[in-house]
Amino acid sequence: MALPEDPEDLSPGTAAERTRLAWERTAIAFGAVGLAMLRGEPVAGALVLAVTPLIWALGRYVSSTAPPRERSRRLLLVTLAVTGVAVLALVAAFIGHGLTRFR
Amino acid sequence: MGARGRQRPGGGATSQHGHPDGEPGAPGPAAGPGTEEEPDVRFTLANERTFLAWNRTALALVVAGLGIVQLLPPFPGVPWGRHALGVPLIVLGAAVSVTAYREWRRNQTALRRSEPIPQSVLPRILVVTITGVAALSAVVLLVSAVR
Repeated sequence: MALPEDPEDLSPGTAAERTRLAWERTAIAFGAVGLAMLRGEPVAGALVLAVTPLIWALGRYVSSTAPPRERSRRLLLVTLAVTGVAVLALVAAFIGHGLTRFR
Repeated sequence: MGARGRQRPGGGATSQHGHPDGEPGAPGPAAGPGTEEEPDVRFTLANERTFLAWNRTALALVVAGLGIVQLLPPFPGVPWGRHALGVPLIVLGAAVSVTAYREWRRNQTALRRSEPIPQSVLPRILVVTITGVAALSAVVLLVSAVR
């Protein structure tokens, strides 16, 4: 049997598996950021940690047959979560622990 | 699903559904430039993984910026130094995340239309900002050493 042009053709399911792993890495990244923030800014860190299971659940919910609008909404939630983390970090940098050292 | 069942970005249009001959992945009758059909799911998933990778990069930038502000000792004589270095990284993190979403949507549309994938602006944004922050770090260190 001749090998296919793309190795993925041997096992098409690996694409879905890699995507699920990418979601899990993203959820772990949120958890790591939350833990890192917990030390200096407990409230912000706890908020970020609370988002982690949501990202994990979104990843578990990922389906290769998800309708486009549903997929778009899910990815928008990730963007909103990352932007929220950035806003929390800015607040922490200016009015949190960082400002006391800035003065 | 065979190789012919996928839609190559910029290549010929194929569809994952609606095939009159019943063969999965065979081109549908309406496929072609100007028409929109859901691309092969593997391209959709690859686009999604790229989006997620950029978002992890964004998180890394945010945590790096916050780490600079909160964990570094103050630069002697340059009280604004840590904020000048950390805040741009945090803002860049938010910008990368929003841009990644916009590019995901744009790429998905291009895949549906069998058009070439547009070039990403994210690497350029990243290079310019990180180079700027690196140059600023040198300035802060020099000013701190002089004072």
